[in-house]
Amino acid sequence: MAEEKKVAAYICQGCGIGERLDTANLAKVAQKEGRVNLVREHAILCNAEGVKMIRDDIANEGVTHVAVVACSRRAKTEAFNFPEVALARGNIREGVIWVRPDTDEARETTQEMADDYVRMVCAELKAMKLPAGNPDAGHSRTLLVVGGGVSGMTSALAASQAGYSVVLVEKTGQLGGWAANLHKRMPSHEPFKDPQDTGVSEMVQAIAAAPDIKVYLNATVAQTSGAPGRFKVSIATESGATTEEDIGAIVQATGFNLYDASKLSDLGVGSSANVVDQAGLEKLAKAAAAANEPIRRPSDGAPVKNVVFVQCAGQRDASGTHLPYCSGHCCNTSIKQAMYFKDANPEIDTTVIFTDLRTPGNGEDFYRSAQRKEVTFTKGRVSRVEATGNTCKVNFHDLILDDQNASIADVDLVVLATGQVPNSGVNIDLPAEEGAEEEGKKVVSILNLSYRQGKDLPQLKWGFTDSHFICFPYETRRTGIYACGPVRRPMDIVQAMEDATGATMKAIQAIENAALGRAAHPRAGDLSFPRVRIEGCTQCKRCTVECPFGAIDEDEKRYPVFNEGRCRRCGTCMGACPVRVISFENYSVDTVGLQIKAVDVPDEFSEKPRILLLACENDAYPALDMAALNRIQSSAFVRAIPVRCLGSVNTIWVTDALNSGYDGVMLMGCKHGDDYQCHFVKGSELANYRMSKIDDTLKQLGLEPERVATYEVAITDIERVPQLINDYAAKIEEIGLSPMKGF
Amino acid sequence: MTEIVATNQTILVVGGGISGMTAALEAAECGKQVVLVEKEASLGGRVSQLYRYFPKLCHPTCGLEINLRRLKSNPRIRVLTLAEVTGLTGKAGDYTATVRVSPRYVNENCTACGACGEAVSSEVANTFNYSLNKTKAAYLPHAMAFPQRYVLDPSIIGTPEADKAKAACKYDAVDLTMQEETLSLKVGAVVWATGWKPYDANRIQPYGYDRFANVITSVEFERLADPHGPTGGKLLRPSDGKEAKNIAFIQCAGSRDENHLRHCSRICCMASLKQTNYVREKGGEDARSTVYYIDIRAIDRFEDFYQKVLADPQVKFVKSKVAKIVEDAKTGDVVLHGVDTEGYHRYANAHDLCVLAVGMEPSVKGMDIPAEIIADSSGFLEINSATAGVFGAGCATNALDVNRAVQGATAAALRAIQVVNRVARAEG
Amino acid sequence: MSDLNAQAVAKYRTNFLKEVEERVEEGEWVKMCMQCGVCSGSCPLGPFWAHPPQEIFMMIRAGRRDEVLTSDSMWMCTSCYNCIVRCPRKLPITHIMHGLANYAHRLGLAPKNQPTRVFATMFWNNLIKTGRVNELKLSLGLYFKDGFKQGIQNALNMQKTGLGLMKAKRLNPFELFSGHGCKDRKGIAAMLKKAREIEASRKHFAN
Repeated sequence: MAEEKKVAAYICQGCGIGERLDTANLAKVAQKEGRVNLVREHAILCNAEGVKMIRDDIANEGVTHVAVVACSRRAKTEAFNFPEVALARGNIREGVIWVRPDTDEARETTQEMADDYVRMVCAELKAMKLPAGNPDAGHSRTLLVVGGGVSGMTSALAASQAGYSVVLVEKTGQLGGWAANLHKRMPSHEPFKDPQDTGVSEMVQAIAAAPDIKVYLNATVAQTSGAPGRFKVSIATESGATTEEDIGAIVQATGFNLYDASKLSDLGVGSSANVVDQAGLEKLAKAAAAANEPIRRPSDGAPVKNVVFVQCAGQRDASGTHLPYCSGHCCNTSIKQAMYFKDANPEIDTTVIFTDLRTPGNGEDFYRSAQRKEVTFTKGRVSRVEATGNTCKVNFHDLILDDQNASIADVDLVVLATGQVPNSGVNIDLPAEEGAEEEGKKVVSILNLSYRQGKDLPQLKWGFTDSHFICFPYETRRTGIYACGPVRRPMDIVQAMEDATGATMKAIQAIENAALGRAAHPRAGDLSFPRVRIEGCTQCKRCTVECPFGAIDEDEKRYPVFNEGRCRRCGTCMGACPVRVISFENYSVDTVGLQIKAVDVPDEFSEKPRILLLACENDAYPALDMAALNRIQSSAFVRAIPVRCLGSVNTIWVTDALNSGYDGVMLMGCKHGDDYQCHFVKGSELANYRMSKIDDTLKQLGLEPERVATYEVAITDIERVPQLINDYAAKIEEIGLSPMKGF
Repeated sequence: MTEIVATNQTILVVGGGISGMTAALEAAECGKQVVLVEKEASLGGRVSQLYRYFPKLCHPTCGLEINLRRLKSNPRIRVLTLAEVTGLTGKAGDYTATVRVSPRYVNENCTACGACGEAVSSEVANTFNYSLNKTKAAYLPHAMAFPQRYVLDPSIIGTPEADKAKAACKYDAVDLTMQEETLSLKVGAVVWATGWKPYDANRIQPYGYDRFANVITSVEFERLADPHGPTGGKLLRPSDGKEAKNIAFIQCAGSRDENHLRHCSRICCMASLKQTNYVREKGGEDARSTVYYIDIRAIDRFEDFYQKVLADPQVKFVKSKVAKIVEDAKTGDVVLHGVDTEGYHRYANAHDLCVLAVGMEPSVKGMDIPAEIIADSSGFLEINSATAGVFGAGCATNALDVNRAVQGATAAALRAIQVVNRVARAEG
Repeated sequence: MSDLNAQAVAKYRTNFLKEVEERVEEGEWVKMCMQCGVCSGSCPLGPFWAHPPQEIFMMIRAGRRDEVLTSDSMWMCTSCYNCIVRCPRKLPITHIMHGLANYAHRLGLAPKNQPTRVFATMFWNNLIKTGRVNELKLSLGLYFKDGFKQGIQNALNMQKTGLGLMKAKRLNPFELFSGHGCKDRKGIAAMLKKAREIEASRKHFAN
């Protein structure tokens, strides 16, 4: 846009601002110091008249940049919504009058606070541009689904029904995955009494009938490059040939493998052919059903008359030998399998030995149904399965009767409920190379991403590629790629189908947003994206390494290549860059840096310190707002600037602040560590690390280490946040004002 | 009169809790027009009344903040609060919904400055805190309420109190002439995300919720632990305000019980395990929790959390459905009677406070909703019926934890999009 | 071993659950228990049970036949119905307890001097003679069940109550000689006979 820049500041007098502050002075500051082109005061800026005034100025006066000096950016967002101009908010309600006492003594410092926020918003606007969107937007509307099991097929069908075309890649020669090997599945509908058909063949038929689903069997993904809307995916087929497809977004539904039962020798695996896992039993049941015969024990083919199910076999293991987690479906699966026997012949003894029977929701009805069919449920812990000829003896500790030496003898078949192990490809957080032996198995990449940060989706825990967030199960660390089904979390068919539908929703959304050049969650709709002044780049690689989303690759000359479609606009790269060549149009080293410099720093004899507070806009800033809503007072010497994430904080802001005479700098971000709260994964952790390195700088400047302090805060810390501020202000008073003032 | 533009390509989402918000946001961020209807005065639903989530122990308001930011910046979602869908006719791609909007008596001029709240003196039960305390009759539902607008309680309308509120408002935001409205909306698909309600603990006679002050529900316990709650985040027991240090948790209070709810409510085990963390967080080293359970259902990765709590010497587990509770009239303590079934040990344990892990019941149970979407005898809704354009989402469809509810809501958004995209294709 | 017991052992071998299901009144409910223990905790006589109901159910499933049938636990049940009301699986626990007691008694395995059993036997034998309970004979029978000396002692202890009952015409001394009965004694006898037949066929005692 070649249009002339015209900045206007609007100062609200409502909500007590007019009574508490000299708004005429604020207007003067905006005009004289902020050098805006137009200043207006209004009694109630957010009402229809006030908003119309701003709209009119945009329409008639050619205003391109609007400073709303009123309440917090979190309030009245719908009223102050002018998408056609660059907008910044000066927070003098929650940020100033609501945290200061209405007393004569406080008046001067409160006014100074507000004056500063006017200076800051004007400075911010100076450096701000209206984001134009990603020019490199991709427009492919095809979904790639990797994995042709129930999850993958559900995803493909769901996308097709919404009007999107699909490429489905399955590594084996047929669709269906694990479910195709099942005799039946557990019931998905009322009355939850009997096993039901898997429905796999109907799904396979539906896929064959869908004209917009292209299926590759015996195929794998050889390479994935690009970004949402413009992925280039090479598919390797059996013949050795590769085909390239243009893809908009990806759903990874690569399922699971069963835990290796051969590690369970205590439970009779290896010593008796009549000890099988749940998959082994499905095979026996399927064969028996096909031959219209009873289920037979493997050792000699005699019909099974006594079967024992051992729950949590190699699962929920606190010793660290086997899987530590619960696979969730196995109690219901054993119940279903016990019914295979009882439904065929009620005389067959079936016992399920469990420690906690886990049949949530309507599974409770399924459990009752099995009891009605006389499946016996015993709370116990199996210690050993002994093989004797064609039968086994199951020894267990009966927990109800407190009998350490309980046992069931003459068992024809023992079924071990082993767990799900996700099939998630290479663990990119491990140094091991692809193809390396991991627990005796060759690890093969699934997506073969040509990303600098690794070939597959990052794993959360125990190989599952789940989201770390409870509210956002599809928050992925590789934009446009969504995992679903048991590769994401252990689950049953009902859940996998629901999960696949959800993941498909997100993939379709990624396609739509990528085409418009917009960011994905959590900054959904954000049109800004990182721009790099490549001629200044020193190839230090910090941005490529630290990007939480693997959005930045390297070109052959080792310069960073930004894939805007993969970027989530957190600004971690901007915070990382030591030469400050990375910025966003509406959020940059300057938009914040100029605010810091705009603050009026009184001289050292004034006894008025200045403390810079860089607050994460996701949790810390809302906490400040809510503290203000509760009218909890805090120091008048603090100037708060919301940041996208602490990860975006460039150390230059901190050193600039100290150089220009600030007495202290506080950083407030989200919790880090295992249960991190940072919405951009490592932002707060990185900031913490970067600030730990700032001590040297402080030393060089001759400053105390306390002048920079980093805090983890939560959004609920409405009492604690003002307390931290006040404590810090007291601390600054104690160590004295900065000697750097006036330089 | 409320003006709403809606067509047969619009998606109606009923319920503004985390599931409804998610369904609305996911659809809108995919370019769809959405009308989101919430019966309370603000969005957020049950999760906004929780202190922390399991298993991360993070705060639900953190996710709410992100969702509200998404909502505020998305022009495609029209939010109606204090609104209920009272009728739905038509077929997929062509529904007419009747929506009843109750008066808030405060219009969009409200700046949440708080002057009306200061002006009135009468108080009403604070339903956000499950009526554990009171709030002014002109109130902001909670600190993160969206819309960030005050509400006048209908009980003061026509009294001098309402006039006081009106007089205090400088922004012409208090409008005492507001009337109930009935809107008729044309929509293509409907997502029913009406959530759950805690099972009525009064009906579990032997536990004496109706008789003993120190028997409370798990949802009330969340409010006690929350700094925004009635006790400012302290675990003070209702009878005498004494800090509760020795707390009992009774699992399956209403769930897995044919006298009450047939189904297992899934979340209560994890919720109680989580709440034992509150006991430790607030009460320190001498705080004690005892969990009385039938089976601990810490499914999938949640097992971790269970193992951590198991290892905590301050938490005891008793495999037992508590038979009855007796109140010690002198101390106000509650004495739990029953049998630990692991080896048969009879107990009569005194606790400061007893928390009933009450079950989840679908909110729609007993409401007038389209019969074809009711899925089972518990009153939960169908997530996907092949013919209709009405889809259940979240805890309206099953007893679900937040993560699974959001998953289902995301899936429901796609099902609704499939319908409206079909309409769009048909209309060219 | 009684014939009936030997026959049952031969028939059911290790499957005691099956035996209970087929032969004990409401025995088919035993498999539905989920071991929550609310019955055991709800019983007002709970502390007197060596094995509370929920544990008995588990013992049945574990095949502990002798332990269950010779136990005096189920004889503790006073039919207050607390357990039935509270059972989340709606098991008719009171009835099952009586069913088990009755079955153990029938097989001759019930503990010999269990007072509830003794009383129940006396009550039943008293009742079926005339179709009506003879209170005086029943009371005297109970007084003297532990010998003559103890019987006199009991009678003296209860003298005041006895006289009171007599004054209120609730106890007739002449009952000792003949006593009252119902109108159709033959009918009662026929009814009981039929009931026994039905029970025997329904509970597989006949085969």
